[in-house]
Amino acid sequence: MISKVIAYKKNNIDTDTIIPGKYLKIHEYDELAKHAMEGLDSSFRIRTKDCSFIIAGNNFGCGSSREHAPIALSYSGIKIILALSFARIFYRNAIDGAFIIPIEIDQNTYNSINDNDELDIDVQNNKIANLTTSRTYITKPFPNLVKKIIDAGGIFKLDV
Amino acid sequence: MTQTLYEKIWDSHIITKQNKSSLLYVDRHFIHEVTSPQAFDGLRLNRRHVRRPDLTIATVDHNVPTVDRSLPILDQTSKIQINTLENNCREFGITIFGMQSEYQGIVHVIGPQLGITLPGTTIVCGDSHTSTHGAFGALAFGIGTSDVEHVLATQTIWTQKSKSFKIIINGKQNSAITAKDIILFIIRTIGTSGGTGTVIEYTGDVVKNFSMEQRMTICNMSIEAGARAGLIAPDEKTFDYLRNKKYTPANYESLVDLWKLNLHSDKNATFDKEININISRITPQVSWGTNPSMVSDVTSIIPYPKQYSKNDPNKLEEAKNALKYMGLKPGTPITDISIDRVFIGSCTNARLEDLIDAAKIVEGNKVSSHVKAIIVPGSQMVKKQAENLGLHKIFKRANFEWRESGCSMCLGMNDDFLLPGERCASTSNRNFEGRQGTGGRTHLVSPIMAAAAALYGHFVDVRELMSNDN
Repeated sequence: MISKVIAYKKNNIDTDTIIPGKYLKIHEYDELAKHAMEGLDSSFRIRTKDCSFIIAGNNFGCGSSREHAPIALSYSGIKIILALSFARIFYRNAIDGAFIIPIEIDQNTYNSINDNDELDIDVQNNKIANLTTSRTYITKPFPNLVKKIIDAGGIFKLDV
Repeated sequence: MTQTLYEKIWDSHIITKQNKSSLLYVDRHFIHEVTSPQAFDGLRLNRRHVRRPDLTIATVDHNVPTVDRSLPILDQTSKIQINTLENNCREFGITIFGMQSEYQGIVHVIGPQLGITLPGTTIVCGDSHTSTHGAFGALAFGIGTSDVEHVLATQTIWTQKSKSFKIIINGKQNSAITAKDIILFIIRTIGTSGGTGTVIEYTGDVVKNFSMEQRMTICNMSIEAGARAGLIAPDEKTFDYLRNKKYTPANYESLVDLWKLNLHSDKNATFDKEININISRITPQVSWGTNPSMVSDVTSIIPYPKQYSKNDPNKLEEAKNALKYMGLKPGTPITDISIDRVFIGSCTNARLEDLIDAAKIVEGNKVSSHVKAIIVPGSQMVKKQAENLGLHKIFKRANFEWRESGCSMCLGMNDDFLLPGERCASTSNRNFEGRQGTGGRTHLVSPIMAAAAALYGHFVDVRELMSNDN
C-alpha cells in the first residue's frame, strides 16, 4: 500500500485526543470521523485526503476502550498506524474490527520517517519502503492469530 | 509447579488454545449504553442471539444526567443512546438497571455492590476501568465494541496471556494518604506504559490493610499504567464484602472455602517483573500535566521540563506541551494553584468511604465563593447509604451540589463538563487534554484533597486540616 504519512512524533496520544467523549453519542461513522484528532491537529481532515498513514511514539491509543477511536481514524481514511508501541485495548479494537492495521516499529525506523514522507507498506512481508528517502525497514511480524484476523478482515470473519 | 493468581484464573478459563492465543470463557459481561449499540446491531445483522443473557448485566452510566431524574432527558442523542440500550436489553432478554432503578450506577461500582463481581471469575466490559473488579481477585479487563459483540454471541474471548507484574506495597500509611495517592505515586514511578503487556498483582501489608473500596481505587487505575488488569488476592475482607448482596450465590460459603484454598499466588511463584513501593514518606499527590504519570507532591512545585525529562527529548516536549495546555508555570508551588471547579465522583473515587472521608473535611465549612463543586455518588445505592448517614446535608450546607449517580464529569459526555480554561480538582482517573471538556484543565487528586481544595479555592496539604487525626 502506497501513501503519505502524517507524523505525530509524541508519546501517549490518548483516546480522548483521538475522539473526545462528547462525540461518543454519534453512531454514524462518517460523522464521527469529522471530529477525529480535532484537539491535536486542526489540519487532520484535510491531510487525510492524501495521507493514509500515521506515525507516532509510544503508547498510542492509551486510555479508554472506546472503539470509536480506531473507527474515527479509519473513516477519516487512515489505513495503517506505525508506532513505537500501542496501548493494548486500542490495538485489539483496531484489529478485531478491521479498522486500522497497527504496526509496531523500532526507534531507528521511527527516527528516519518524517512528516509527509511517501511510504510503501507491505503488510504481508513486514516491510516498509520510504519512497521519499529510498530507505527500507523491516517490521516485527504479527503474532499468528493477529495475522489471521487481519487477513480475514476482522474477528467475525475469522475461521478458526 | 507454582503459579501466580493470574495464571490460576487464566488456566481455569481456557476453552481451547491456538499457538500463543487462548479462547477464554467469560463469567460475567457488563454492558452500558456507549460501547454496546453497534454490538447489538451486529448481532441482529447476522441473526445471532445473546448466548448467556443470564451472565450479561446492563446499566446506564456514561451518558445519564445527574440532575433531576424525574425530568425528561433534554439531550436527544443521549436519550436515544439510553433508550437503545433499554430496547436492546428487552429484545435480547438481558437484565438492565435503568435510569429509574435503585441499583443504577457506574457499572464498576454496582458490580461489586450487587455481588455480581466474584473472586476467581473472568469479567469483561466495554470500558477500560473494568480493571476495578480485580480488587476482588477477578480477572477483569476492558474490551472494545467488536469484542463486546463477540462476547455477547459466544460468551468467550480470544486473547493472549500477559506477563505478570508484582507490585509490593509496604510502609506506614498516614490516614491522609489514600489509595488514590498511592496509585498516582505508582503511576508516577513506573509511567503510563510501565504496566503495558502485564497483569499487575498488588500485594504487601498496605494492600492487606486496605478496605475493599481502597483496593478498588488501586485496581481501577491499573489501566492508567497501561496494564491489562490489576489483581488483589481475595481474603476475609473480600468475602465479607460480597456476603448477602442481591446476587450473592446461594452456595456462597462453599465457594468461599474453595477460594480460600486456591485464589492466591503460590509461595515462590515467579513473576516476570517485580517492584517494591514504600509509602511511608509519600505526601498527598496532585497531577499537574496531561497524563496520569505527571504528578507532584502537594508540598512541591510544578516541575521544570528540563529536570522532569531527564534528557529524554520526547518527555521534554511532552512536559512543555502539558504545561502550555494546563496554563502553568514551572516553579509554581502546587498549593498556589487556584481552581474553578471540583468534581468528586467517578469509578475511581465515588464510593461510600470516599464520601465519608470528604464529608469529614467539609463539615462546618463552605466551598470557596469562586468554586463550583459537585458530588456525584457512584451509584444510587451509594447515594442512599450516604443520605442515611446525613452526608448530603453536610455537603449541601457547604454549597456542594449533590447529584444523581453516573460517570458525569469524569469524561464530560453528559451536561457536566468543564468550559475552556476552567481548572478542576477531580477525583477521576484521567487528566488527558479535553477529557473533562474541550480546553478543560484537570488535576487528579484524592477525595479529601478535592474537598479541601473546594473549601480554599486552591490546593492545600490536606494533612494540615487533619492534624488531630494523626
